[in-house]
This record gives sequence, structure tokens and C-alpha cells, in this order.
Amino acid sequence: MKNETLILLTVFVPVLGSFLLPLIGKISETTRNLCALIFVLVSLICSFLLLPTVMRGETISALYVQAVNMNYFYADSLAVFMAIVSSLVGAIIVLYSFGYISHYEHRNEYYFMVVLFLGSMMGIVYSRNLISIYVFWEITALACWRLIGFFRERTYVLRADKAFLVTVFGALMMLIGFLNIYGTAGSFDLGVISKSHVSNLAVLFIMFGILSKSATLPLHTWLPDAGVAPSPVTALLHAAVLVKIGVYVFARLFVVTIPLDEMWHTIIPIIAAVSALVSAGAALIDTDMKRIIAYSTVSQIGFIFLGLSIGNDVALAGGLLYILMHGLSKAALFLCAGIIEQATHTKDITKMGGLIKTMPVTAISFLICAFSVMGIPPLGGFFAKYLVINGAFKSGQTTISFVFLFGAVLTIIYLFRLFILIFMGHSKVEHPEKEGTPVMLISVATLAVLSILGGIFINYPAEVVMTTVQQIMGVVR
Amino acid sequence: MNTLLLPVIIPALAALAIFLIPKKWPMREIFAVLVAVFNAIIAWYLFKKDMTLVFPWGGAWGMEFSFRLYGFSGFTLLATAFFALLIAIYSTSFMKDKEHVSQFYAYLLLILAQINGVVLSDNLILMLFFWEGMLLTMFGFIAIGGKKESIHTAVKAFIINGTTDLLMMAGIAITGYLAGTFTISQISLQTGGLASLAFILLIIGAISKAGSMPFHTWIPDAATDAPLPFMAFGPGSFEKLVGIYFLARICLNIFTLSPGSGLSTMLMIIGAITILAAVMMALVQKDYKKLLSYHAISQVGYMILGIGTALPIGIIGGLFHMLNNAIYKDCLFQTAGAVEKQTGTTDLYKLGGLASKMPVTFICFVIAALSISGTPFFNGFFSKELIYDGALESGMIFYLAAVVGSFFTAASFLKLGHAAYFGTPGESTHNVKKDVPLTMLVPMIVLAVLCIFFGVYNAYPLNAYFMPIIGAAANGHSFSGMPANFTLVIITILVLVLAYLNHKYGVKKFGAGIKAVDHIHHAPVLANIYNMAEKRYFDPYELGLKFVRIFSKASFSVDRGIDWIYNHLSVRATQVATNGIKKAHTGNFSMYIAWSLGGMIILVIWILRTVR
Repeated sequence: MKNETLILLTVFVPVLGSFLLPLIGKISETTRNLCALIFVLVSLICSFLLLPTVMRGETISALYVQAVNMNYFYADSLAVFMAIVSSLVGAIIVLYSFGYISHYEHRNEYYFMVVLFLGSMMGIVYSRNLISIYVFWEITALACWRLIGFFRERTYVLRADKAFLVTVFGALMMLIGFLNIYGTAGSFDLGVISKSHVSNLAVLFIMFGILSKSATLPLHTWLPDAGVAPSPVTALLHAAVLVKIGVYVFARLFVVTIPLDEMWHTIIPIIAAVSALVSAGAALIDTDMKRIIAYSTVSQIGFIFLGLSIGNDVALAGGLLYILMHGLSKAALFLCAGIIEQATHTKDITKMGGLIKTMPVTAISFLICAFSVMGIPPLGGFFAKYLVINGAFKSGQTTISFVFLFGAVLTIIYLFRLFILIFMGHSKVEHPEKEGTPVMLISVATLAVLSILGGIFINYPAEVVMTTVQQIMGVVR
Repeated sequence: MNTLLLPVIIPALAALAIFLIPKKWPMREIFAVLVAVFNAIIAWYLFKKDMTLVFPWGGAWGMEFSFRLYGFSGFTLLATAFFALLIAIYSTSFMKDKEHVSQFYAYLLLILAQINGVVLSDNLILMLFFWEGMLLTMFGFIAIGGKKESIHTAVKAFIINGTTDLLMMAGIAITGYLAGTFTISQISLQTGGLASLAFILLIIGAISKAGSMPFHTWIPDAATDAPLPFMAFGPGSFEKLVGIYFLARICLNIFTLSPGSGLSTMLMIIGAITILAAVMMALVQKDYKKLLSYHAISQVGYMILGIGTALPIGIIGGLFHMLNNAIYKDCLFQTAGAVEKQTGTTDLYKLGGLASKMPVTFICFVIAALSISGTPFFNGFFSKELIYDGALESGMIFYLAAVVGSFFTAASFLKLGHAAYFGTPGESTHNVKKDVPLTMLVPMIVLAVLCIFFGVYNAYPLNAYFMPIIGAAANGHSFSGMPANFTLVIITILVLVLAYLNHKYGVKKFGAGIKAVDHIHHAPVLANIYNMAEKRYFDPYELGLKFVRIFSKASFSVDRGIDWIYNHLSVRATQVATNGIKKAHTGNFSMYIAWSLGGMIILVIWILRTVR
């Protein structure tokens, strides 16, 4: 199959296929579920098939539109790497949903939105121009709005509105930035833009969009609030799609395409550091399980931004690896939270305890993934954290590095607090509940095993990341 | 497969196997012992060989899988294998009928693999990979202790060591960046500026693993909350071996620590404070295992002091002490385990009169206690004398700290021995009929014999193991045989006699072995300090957590403040704005006309300006 076709399949099978899902669901639930999984797997497999080509250092363009003289889609190793991470985590989350969502209403809408969400993520990842980035960006905002308010209670819907308003506000700011770029470069095409100068004002506007989507201080509070969504959706928001969109677009625009001014290499790490510390502190106080994990995401995104923005190869590699490892383990944490929530009917960790006895698989998977987020070897998170910190020191940002080390210590503390309150001590839940359904347990265990394998066999992801970094650094210099 | 990989891969795979095989499997113990035997054979085979193994691992950025076997690493490998084997044999009886036996053996083999990995690594990142990985095994070990507080102690150990490991990670990053490589054998840095920072950060990692102050506070907690065999080889031997191994590598290979430099003094001060403060705490403990655990901390002080002198005699003394300490401390913890196995407690109030009931355990205890107190002709004596010599050359004050430490060490072991093995039998010792089974006695006997053997024939370990490590720096000196400085030996003996007299005095005054040091415990000033220490005022962990709590409260309010802007301020602002606009739309027709006219005029003016 031609590479161009693969890119189109990756994007359009889930995006267009998602519209069919409610129709299929009218006929057969099982078929719809399987179709949803297959659509996402198509993205995963097609991206894997693209891997050998991009690993040779080649790039692929697709869907040339004569009228505007632009390619719509484009793949380099960064895009393929990101697509694989998102669709891999996404596929596992869809699998988990089979068990989780089976007894709620609006299942048709659920699968429709989830697959559309993942499809538009693929669209952003493979976009060659600012317009298609913006269009898919707003589709994800819509999908996310429906999904956060999935349970339709009044406060839930209000929180969905909040998430929607904040991210759309960011997106509109970003659009102003895009127009500003168009004004100077005369094109929306990333290839053309990379050859012209971009004003700091445009960068500022676009940063609004990125930070709002990636939930970085001070545009982050919608993310903990979004914990009211079904757990697979929060996993999707945190690990696979939504917050990674901001990170990816940052990498795509400001690492690959537009060389940033020197001052941004200091400003963005400072924003990231403040964000990482404040949210880590908040995670130590909050008592809602999902909010704590959400604050943890805000905090870890800080590490990713540090890696991407500091401006050398080591940190960049760390940031990219971080996207992968954080995706795997954070998704598992949310999925575990979902199992716990369904078993205990609460999200308040002060009302839990002793669950390791009744749900050992969940507990062990949770612990392994928590270790990965903490960055403990042999789990994958170790290398990511190490490379980011190493890169920061290499750039001479000693103070920022120590601030992040403090953040890493806080990460250890709040994750242990979470683990102990949920799983250890005496059970405060009246009826000790059973484990989740097998398909849910398989999903979390798979993620935990992947976190371990990702650390021990670091050479495989590292090879892709290395090619990506070489490509990027070649472009910048 | 390369032989060098075996010490890491075999125990790790065996650990995985033990995790996976069904709980009812009867052969776990035998299997673990066999793996330990196999590991020991490999280590013996590799000893005194030179080998390297390099293959790419994480791609670029210095992440390289490289092992290097040479004199020092070969020795540490062998020592670790030896202690692991003894503990595996010892545990077959000790862990019988306990919970989580599978996990125990799995962690034992896993930590063995990790330590072998640390010792063999010739790449800093690879070393950190194994080193930091020990956090997990240590956490697991303490967590399966079966006490209510076990999990909290496990978390405490994890957080303390996790923090210092992160600092070490920073140190490794700076070191690699300054040296331009992460291959340990190629790094040779001068201290000063950023390099000094890197040195300090690396040292923090090393001495924290060894259990030095101020990173020690989890060890006494673990003494009561973790399974005893963990204490015997964790804080007792393994962690000393690996921590001091790396400390020596930092001071000798990665950096060159020069005598009299600021960093050398810093290390010696840490060592001296650790010796004194920990031994003072050990003195007043009323629990067998807790008392030993404070000695496990105090003895590290001697090693750090010795290596910190940066003099050949001090370094040799520190390294020799590392081995000796591992031997007698392992033996002492095992006697504690034997007592716990037979009586069900280690509370000294409930013990007493065990000497006649558990004679072999008692003899092993006496030999090991004599060694740790530095009695002539036992192994601890010779290494301590070397350290004394080095300390005296570096400064009188350091020598004094070391000698005073020895006084209290001897005093506390007199008290411990008296309270546990002599005096009237306590409530828990009445029913003890016989000594522990052979599988527990043999490891203790082996270790006790080694205490004597490495004392009398100290030339063997010194010349075979340690002289090659410092190499040419020895300058033709031989440190074996009787100590060179005879005055120091006489002082040592005097100190021991004083400790004995002090014990006699205390027993006479208070009438019981356990109260032999109460006159020190309740001395003015000291009593206050002890009180505060018991309330954990000096625990850096508690202080750190207090700070973290304040910090998180502050950040939570910042977070809530930002949320308030979204949830209230922005909503309010929108309401005010729309209300204002609403007021302009009153439905009054003439008003609307006025608005339109005004708008039109502005538009016309703007168009005219642009056209022009």
C-alpha cells in the first residue's frame, strides 16, 4: 500500500467511521464495540506501517490540494511516533470501555465521540498546515465537551461547559496567532512558514491555545474539574489525546517548524516549573481520587514542556519519551480509578482503604504505573525523567533543574499518599467489593506490563525518538 | 551469553520465576538457595578476572550497557554473593511459617541482581538504573514486614532514598556533562565549581545508600517493621557494601579527593557526627534490633571518616571496615533473629538469661560484639586502628570522635549482652528449651569464624582484596599485621577497660543490665536531647514532610484562587458587561436611531481616511 494512502486511512477511517457507529449500534452492540476498536486499531497499524519509511529519515506528504497549493497531510518520525502513542493508548482505553460503559445510557454517542476524538487527534498529528490543525483542534474540543458532560447531571454539564469555554478561548487566541503568521509568511503551509520569521506576538497568542489545551497553569483548572467524566474518557483526555495535543502542537510548531527566540527557552521552563510545583502541591491536599491524578497530569506536563522547550537534543528526547511513558502509565492510573469507583461508588480517598485485599490486580497495576510516573527504574518513566533533567542541566539551567527535582520528590509523595489511602490500611467501605470485569483488568494489566517492558527494552522506543531528534535538530540548524 | 551478564540475569529471572510460581510450591526456599549458590560460584569464577562488556542500549546520550569487571568490582561481587548465600540459608528456617515468603525470596534475588548490576556497571546511567531500582525491592521488603506500620516505614524509606537518588541523578547529569562521557572508567574530574556540586550530589546518593546521617531515620523504624533477614543484609551488609563501594569509586576514580581539601573535611565531619550521634542513640535503646540498627548507622560513620581522610591508610581502613562491619553486623542481626525466633520478641525487658539456653547463638554474639567494639585481634580492631591512624593525621578532633564512639559502642554492647543473655530470665525466655535450627546456626558460626580469621590473618583480606584498589597510592606501605602506632592501641585498650568499668558502675547503681547506661541517659542536658530525639524533632524526614505540607497548602490555595477567577470572577464580569449593554437597549426608538447615526458617522470618517 502506498504511504500516502496509509496516512489518509489513519485519519479518515476513525473520523468518518465514527459517524457509522451509532447506526451500527442500533443493530448490534457487540459489532459496534468491535468496529470502534477496529477503527482505532487501523490508525495504530497504519502508523506502524509508516514507521520503517520515516525511520529512514524520509518524510511523506499526502492529499495535495491544487486550489490552495498545499499538502493537507504530512508524516515525519515525530508525527508517526505521536500517532502510535495516541492510538496505542486509545485502543486500550476503547477495549476497557467495553466493560466500563456497558451499563450506562448513551453508549452509541459514547463510542461515536471517542472514536471521532481519536480520529481528529490523528488529523492534528499528520496535519501539514495551520488550517487543518485548527479544524481538527476544534473537533476535539466538541467531542471532549460532549464526553465530559456524559452523565448529564447539571454540575457535570457546567464543568463540560467550562472545559469547552477555556479551550475554545485558547483556540481562538491561537487562531489570531495563526492569522498573524499568515500575515508575515503568506501561507498556512508549515513548510513555507519554517522559512520565514515569526513574531513573538504570534508565539504568545499560540501559546495561549497550547497551554489551555495542555492544561498548564494558569489555564489548567478545567482539567481536574473534568474528572466528572467517565473514567475511560478522563484517561483519554489525560493520557492519549487532549493534553498531548497541546504538547504535540508545541513540538510541531515551535520545535520543528519555527525556531523560538532565546527568551522562550527560559520563559516556558519557568511557566512549566510553576505549573509542575503548584499542581503537585494541590495533588497532596485534594481528596478526590480522580482530581489528584488530574493534578498529577498537570504536574507531569510541566516536565514534558521542560524537555521540549529547553532547546537541546537530550532534553527533547526526554520530553518525547515522557509523552510515551506518561501516556501509558497515566492511562492505567485513570482506568484503575474507574475500576475502584465502580466497585466502591465513591471517589473520595478518605472513605477508602484496604482495597488491595479485594482487588489485587488493580492494586499491583496501579502501583507499577505509579512507580513509572515517579520515574523509578526499571520502569519506563525513569529514562524519560532522567533525560529531561539531564538535558536541563546540560543547558546550564541549574536552578530550574533543582525546582523540577523538588517536583519529582512531590510526585513520589502524593502518589504514595494516594496508594496508601486507597489500597492499604483498614477497609472503610462497608461491603468489600469484587475486582473489575476481566476486560477491564486485562486493559490495566497490559498498560502496566507495557510500562515495565518500555523500561527494560528502552532501546526500541529510544531508537524512534533518536531518529526524531536527529531529524528535528537537522531542521532547526 | 557473556559470563558477565549471568550475575544480573540469573537472579533476576529466578526472582521472576518465584513471583510467578504458585504459592503452594514447596521448593521455593531450596530454589532460592540454589540460585544463591550458583551466583556465588559465578562470583568466585569471576573473582580476580578483568573483563568488559559493552553494547548499545538506549541509543545515544550516553545510555550504554557497559559492564567492567576488575579488582574492586570482582571483590564486591564476591562479598555480596557470600552474604546473599548465608542469608538465603538462614531464611529457610527463619521465614518458615511467615507470610509473603514467595515475595521475600523474590526480592532477595532481585536485590542481588540489582547490586551485582550496580557493582559491575561501568556506565553511570546504567548504574543509576540498577541503583534506583533498589528502591522498589527495598520498598517491597519492608512492606511485607507484617506490622501495621510496615507500609508507612516502607514509604518513608522510599521517600528518603528516592530524594537522595534524585539528587544523585542530578549529580550524574552534571558529572557526565562536565566529563563529556558517562563511562566511569574514563571519567577523571578535578573538584571545584560545578564539579564540587556534582561531587556533593553523588556523595549524597552514596552515603544515603550506606545509611549515614542525616539520611538514616528509616533504618531504626525498619528494624522493627521489616522482616529481620532484610535488616541483616540490607542495612547490615548489602547497602554498606554498595554504598561504600560507590563512595570509594567517587573519591578515588571519578574525582580525586585530596587530603586536607574542603570536601575531604566535609566528609570527615559527616562521618564523625554520624559515629557519635548514632551511637548515643544506640546506647539508650531497649530493643535488640533497634539497638543494632543504630549501630548499623554509627559504623558507616567510621567508613566515611576513613575514606574522607583521603589518605591511603584511612581509605584502606574504611574499606576494610566495610567488609568487617558487614561480617559482624550480619552476624549480630542474625543472633537477634535467632532470639526472636525462639522467644517471639526482641524487647530487652522481656529477655534475659539466654546464654545457657542458646549457647551457640550466645558465643557468636560475643565474638561479633567483641569485633564491633574493636577488641584486639578481632577483625574490627584492625580496621578501626587504621581509621584512627588516618583520622589522627587529619585532625585530633576526628580521632577523638572516633575513640569516643568506640567507648559508647562497647558500653552499649555490654548492656545488650548483659540484658539479653545474662541476668534473670525475662517473661519471654522461660519457655526456651533449645537453640535455633542448624540452618540458622551455620551462617552465624561462619560469620563468627570470619571475625576471628580476618582479625588474626588480616594480611589475607588486606593484601588480596584492598591493596589493589588503591594501587600505587599505597606507596609500598603494607597495612597488614599489627598496627604501626602502638600508642593508639594502648588508648584503644584503655577505652575498652573504661567502658567495662562504666558498665559495672551502672549495673551496681541501678541493679540491672538493661539500666547500665541510665546514668548517661538521664544526665543533665543529655536527657533533654534524648527527649527531643524521641519526639523526632531531629528527624529530617518529619521536618521535610512538614515543609511539604505547608508548601502544598499554599499551592492548593493558589490553585483554588485561579479557579475562583474562572468560576466567579469571569462569570461576574460577563454579567456586569451584559447588564451594561442591556441598559443601552431600552426599546426607545429615537435612542436606536441615535446609535445608528453615531455608528454611521464613525464608519464614514474611517472610510474617508483610508481612501485618502
